Amino acid sequence: MAIINQATKELQVKIVYYGPAMCGKTTNLVQVHDHVQTAAGNKGKLVSLATSSDRTLFFDFLPIEAMSIKGFKTKFQLYTVPGQVIYNTTRQLVLRGVDGIVFVADSQYEKMQENVESFQNLEDNLRSLKQNLADIPYVLQYNKRDLPNVAPVEYMEFLLNNREVQVPSFTGVAHKCEGVFETLNMITRMLLNKYISQGTPQYA
Amino acid sequence: MPTLPQLIEEDIQQFDAVLQDLLERTEATTGLIVDKGGFLITSRGDGEQFDLTTIAALASGAYMANQTIANLVHETNFNNVYQQGEKYSMFCNCIDEHCLLIVIFEAHLSVGVVKYFAKPAAFQIATQIEAAHKRAPDAGLDLSVLNVADTSDFFKKR
Repeated sequence: MAIINQATKELQVKIVYYGPAMCGKTTNLVQVHDHVQTAAGNKGKLVSLATSSDRTLFFDFLPIEAMSIKGFKTKFQLYTVPGQVIYNTTRQLVLRGVDGIVFVADSQYEKMQENVESFQNLEDNLRSLKQNLADIPYVLQYNKRDLPNVAPVEYMEFLLNNREVQVPSFTGVAHKCEGVFETLNMITRMLLNKYISQGTPQYA
Repeated sequence: MPTLPQLIEEDIQQFDAVLQDLLERTEATTGLIVDKGGFLITSRGDGEQFDLTTIAALASGAYMANQTIANLVHETNFNNVYQQGEKYSMFCNCIDEHCLLIVIFEAHLSVGVVKYFAKPAAFQIATQIEAAHKRAPDAGLDLSVLNVADTSDFFKKR
């Protein structure tokens, strides 16, 4: 859960990028790291624990500090999970203490089943941590919209955003940084609004 | 999902005092208290030469991975993890269900000493967390002072 440090006036929040293998989770973080506008010195290093073929092995981690809100420094910790099915234990580890989730879906038609399975896997893993997706702010990003064989957004909405409460969704071309910041800003807004209305983070 | 209790400045001061005492007794370089989700709660000692935010995230991930391995070999928990280096070593000790104590020390120092003093330090920190639990088990936080009605510009693209 997010931590508010009253002693240093800091708010720390954990956002996890989730989704099937090769959908663009790491690319989202790379683009945020490369393009985010911050004051000098408050963008952390992008740490990537990846295999030699650039597949995420454990997680990617990017700490960034956003501007102050009413005197609170806001520190965001962005994580990705490994997408491959075999790394499920690792995904559970990374989800621990999550505050907000960005579900990145691959827009190609042939990836729809993997998208749906990954989404179900997300729900299962949260349940194993005694959490419920309905209680956690999350947004959807339909990535790879520049490819020729993409499914219509309406179809992806039907598959992935067909719950009682619909969540914000964005189209994206992560490698061109399209939709990346829109997604990040939306999850940030949802997170902070949640804490204002519920007051759930703890002091530190 | 277990979460930290509401901690106030007094708690952090107590944590810092325990860490400082631990560093003096062991001659270790840096001590950190880290949430198992990867957040750095507080640190003492030399924080300049290390990226403590990233160390907190990676160390908690590594510890939790070891915990999972423990379960696979029918152990309830590997209570601590020691990483030996040539210049610096790292010792990670479980404080309670929420937090970890991480000590970074020069490799020539004895890990036995670090282990010996880390155990009571972890206990003292756990006691303070327990006191925080009892103080306000259900207390929330009023964030209404924060005006985040519009965070569309929270992260700007260069």
